[in-house]
Amino acid sequence: MLTLYRPGDGPWHRLTAGRKSAVLGLIVLGVSVVPASWWGAALTAGVCLACYAVRGAGMGALVRQGIAIRWILAVTLAGQLLFLGAETGVANTVRICAAVVISGLLALTTPVSELLEALERGLSPLARLRVDPQRAALTIAVTLSTLPVLVRLEREVREAQNARGGGRSLRLFAIPFLVVSLKHADALGDALTARGVR
Amino acid sequence: MSYLDLDDVHVRLGDTQVLRNVTCSLDQRTVAVIGENGSGKSTFARLVGGLARAESGAIRILGLDPAQDASRLRRRIAVVFSNPDTQIVMPTVIEDVAFSLRSEKLPREEKAQRVTEALERFGLTAVADHASHDLSGGQKQLLALCGAFVRRPDLVIADEPTAYLDARNARRVADHLFEEGAHRLLLVTHDMTLAQRCDSAVLVHDGTIVAVGPPDATIAAYEERLRC
Ligand SMILES: Nc1ncnc2c1ncn2[C@@H]1O[C@H](COP(=O)(O)OP(=O)(O)O)[C@@H](O)[C@H]1O
Ligand SMILES: [Mg+2]
Repeated sequence: MLTLYRPGDGPWHRLTAGRKSAVLGLIVLGVSVVPASWWGAALTAGVCLACYAVRGAGMGALVRQGIAIRWILAVTLAGQLLFLGAETGVANTVRICAAVVISGLLALTTPVSELLEALERGLSPLARLRVDPQRAALTIAVTLSTLPVLVRLEREVREAQNARGGGRSLRLFAIPFLVVSLKHADALGDALTARGVR
Repeated sequence: MSYLDLDDVHVRLGDTQVLRNVTCSLDQRTVAVIGENGSGKSTFARLVGGLARAESGAIRILGLDPAQDASRLRRRIAVVFSNPDTQIVMPTVIEDVAFSLRSEKLPREEKAQRVTEALERFGLTAVADHASHDLSGGQKQLLALCGAFVRRPDLVIADEPTAYLDARNARRVADHLFEEGAHRLLLVTHDMTLAQRCDSAVLVHDGTIVAVGPPDATIAAYEERLRC
């Protein structure tokens, strides 16, 4: 689910990270209490479309988000249809899908640096639990921006294995991938320390 | 005046004695660190950069003791590594450069000003809003350098900064490292032409410093060792 930031100047971009989280949180909450019926599903889908039908987001972005979560979508839909029937199944799936995609607007329209500051503020009550809010926020932000590297490492490990005639075994893949990921995390930790992070 | 004084320093990593009896005093503006793979060059660089701890011995970097003034030192030292991917932490170029100034107590406008200047200096202005991980390898390393220099460090430590680059990009990166400025440079490298460009060179062998002096003499000592 790579909902990465895209620069823009639409209404979502202009909201501060804090307000935006609150607004999106309320919308998601609203969507999740809509009754599980055909008209409820239509309403939810409408809200979702409306959220994206503004400058800075757009239908292209909505489609990309949808593609990113297609497997979750498929599995949820199959399970729901099987056990709950068509109406409830479709409505629930639309609801879950809308919740994920609407939350995705936050990452899509907020620069990570801004998200970082908002997270730091949002997590500051955790200080009482001996969690360092700056560190926690940073971990989340860095994880977000390191995803592309992990995706590349994954491809490199696969290619290295294919080049040596390796098959498609998950176990054979998992161990080297874990090793390169941990190595990467270790080096990243060094770089963060060197750049002034405690 | 020397900015790096080590007296009988030992470094142990896990069960391995990686550096032993390291004694040196460096006062030249640019110093190359050369030696075979596994000789301890990176550990030496990490030690000076405050990323590795000494087990024993006395250390003074820029006149400060890293055991006592770690955070003050960190603010004055920048470290550049070989792999740019491990140094880039923010999704866009401009955010990544700005990240380096996060913990500096400066007014917002001044931070923004410094970031703009640094991007300009490293030729990254045109890609400021691009995704950092979509840059070419050469541009990524320039971004890593930019993130290091934007903090205006007194000492720049670079551990094989050109190892992943083609000749042209290696040259650009080296030119920035050697640029006239307030900073001193400690450069770990296997590229002898880069070592030649330094004012002085240190040879590390088997965990200890075996030669310090003008680059020509140190390189000759290195080649001598490689022959036997
Ligand atoms: N974290 C570590 N734990 C144990 N041994 C290490 C560690 N890091 C490096 N070493 C060992 O220390 C020696 C020097 O490593 P390094 O400083 O990376 O050398 P160089 O940069 O000159 O190639 C090597 O033999 C290496 O295997
Ligand atoms: Mg090394």
